Amino acid sequence: MFSLEGITNFIHEWLNSHLSAIFALLAEFVLVGVAAIGLFAFLGLVLVWMERKVAAVMQLRLGPNRLGPKGIFQTSADTLKLIMKEALTPDNADKLLFNLAPFVVIIVAMLILAPISFAKNFQIWDINIGVLYVTAISSLSVIGVLMAGWSSGNKYSLLGAMRSGAQIVSYELSAGLSILTIIVLTGSLKISDIVASQENGWWIFKGHIPAIIAFVIFIIASTAETNRAPFDLAEAESELTAGFHTEYGGMKFALFFLAEYINIFIVCAIGATLFLGGWMPFHIGHWVAFNHIMDYIPSSFWFFGKTGFLIFLIMWFRWTFPRLRIDQLLNLEWKYLLPISMFNLLLMSVMAIMGWYF
Amino acid sequence: MSASAIIFYCISTFILLTGILSVTTRKIFRSSIWLLFSLVGIAGLYFWMDMNFIAAVQIIVYVGGIVVLIIFSIFLTQKAGEQMPKAITGRKVFSILSVLAGLAFIYRVISLNEFHPNTTTVVNANVSEIGTQMLSTTEHGFVLPFEAISMLLLAAMIGCIVIAIKSKPE
Amino acid sequence: MFLKEYFLDIYKATKSLLTGMKLTGYYFTHHKEILTEEYPENRKNLQLAERFRGEVIMPHDANNEHTCTGCSSCEIACPNGSIKIISKFDITPEGKKKKAIDQHIYHLELCTMCGLCVEACPTDAIKMANTFEHSVFNRNHLIKRLNKPGSKIREGIEE
Repeated sequence: MFSLEGITNFIHEWLNSHLSAIFALLAEFVLVGVAAIGLFAFLGLVLVWMERKVAAVMQLRLGPNRLGPKGIFQTSADTLKLIMKEALTPDNADKLLFNLAPFVVIIVAMLILAPISFAKNFQIWDINIGVLYVTAISSLSVIGVLMAGWSSGNKYSLLGAMRSGAQIVSYELSAGLSILTIIVLTGSLKISDIVASQENGWWIFKGHIPAIIAFVIFIIASTAETNRAPFDLAEAESELTAGFHTEYGGMKFALFFLAEYINIFIVCAIGATLFLGGWMPFHIGHWVAFNHIMDYIPSSFWFFGKTGFLIFLIMWFRWTFPRLRIDQLLNLEWKYLLPISMFNLLLMSVMAIMGWYF
Repeated sequence: MSASAIIFYCISTFILLTGILSVTTRKIFRSSIWLLFSLVGIAGLYFWMDMNFIAAVQIIVYVGGIVVLIIFSIFLTQKAGEQMPKAITGRKVFSILSVLAGLAFIYRVISLNEFHPNTTTVVNANVSEIGTQMLSTTEHGFVLPFEAISMLLLAAMIGCIVIAIKSKPE
Repeated sequence: MFLKEYFLDIYKATKSLLTGMKLTGYYFTHHKEILTEEYPENRKNLQLAERFRGEVIMPHDANNEHTCTGCSSCEIACPNGSIKIISKFDITPEGKKKKAIDQHIYHLELCTMCGLCVEACPTDAIKMANTFEHSVFNRNHLIKRLNKPGSKIREGIEE
């Protein structure tokens, strides 16, 4: 059976038998880094293509359809074009910070990748504060946006950065509370423990009403945290001509663009891990035969399938809903999402104490 | 020198360098960004010590909270992009002197303290351990300070609401 | 009362969001709703709307007759001067001189397809055709003469 665990074990043993321990470790670091960058490039190409196709079909268009079957190579061609473009730095920009900002954004995205469990026993770093680590590091991504917006020396960029800051700082709260709702049930922040606790059913089914409310809040808050429509006030093309990355071009723009999609992937992966069981196959109670068939599907397929479904959901939001105004955005967070998620957390705690979940 | 020590010196150099840059740069926004890098470096040091929870909290509270607030207030000021005037030489001398005095004091305290490398007991920094300790009423429990801080935060929140509340037109 | 409104708000918002998602979801799953025309492939059976404005033409009937009187209304109506009427004087059987069209010159390269000439024409001599593949290698090919050589005005139009 296809499993990523076997491949990693084989590489680990092969390296250790040919190199000394410290060089084997260094070689593994390099391999992990290369794999992460490869995943980034792959995700960037595929998700952008997917977004354009989804957008097109929802707007009764065809989308990219010339380069390759169904236009699958369109994004590769776009990347090539972006590489060829001139990397321009505006005259009254703060040169150092302007050039640093895209790298901060992409490095933060890369750091969040560490604790995510892609398949059974296939994880870069099973840190014991897993989910908290993700929440902490993702709060760093706002810094890149603020740096980009301020150092561009442009009032639209500054406005975009400020909106983005206000948005991310406020939506982090309800995202964190909805994550906590599930942590109450698992009793551990470690990603592998969270996945293992869903062996006999995913939390969205086992935790029923509060888990579903938490899931909805998590999806809304994470859409807002990744600056996606309908919460894309930070870039708002029609008002701010792209907001914080107005002045960027070429590969530096591509890094921002890539980071957006990587962040979507990461929040969806976290959502899939917390609510939909990560790489756990779909099991129904005591249907032994059914469960056995489900076990035959490799765990990586389950993980990427669930993540892909959530990504599709977020894209569906983007191409359906109109953009919010800044006051509506803050109202939604402080008057609706935050109180609801607080009560939801209380409800879940009561449920966890009384044992009212499956 | 072991690999672990090399990593420690790298992180410390990073923290010190960004710290010095944050006080010497003449652009206020850059200063806050260097401060931010310095705080991230301290979080890295916590990670190096395997104190993951503290590191994550350091990032959430200082980087995600306080520095973002500082940056916001910089955005709201006028002329945030201009260079600050150079400091007066007299002030510079005094600040350097006070820094040296502080350094000497801390060095003295550290050198007087005898460190006993503790290799037998490993500090358990699990989140659940920290949580139990935080709410335990036994001898080394932190329930009293925890509750006191909760009260303080509650008072601060109520104060904010009172300040921000709209007075109804009579 | 406040709580009731609060939850009613949430209910209404969720409902309206779901309504929107239902529509886009319907479009996503029903690909036959797609409106895009894939142009070079479907060139053979391309259906353009009746109101599509491609270029100005002057219809001629089987006897090589048109209905243009050479009144220059279209030339006056054209906002960017893409029509030029060259008129001549015919001798009627009664021996009188009569104004008639010699050449109706149409500059396609200047035309914005606004259709004001068609509206201005009193005798419906010109109309908009829905051809649109106008690219040529020489700019001079875009200057067209709309009335065919040897054509004349149909009887009974000028009365």
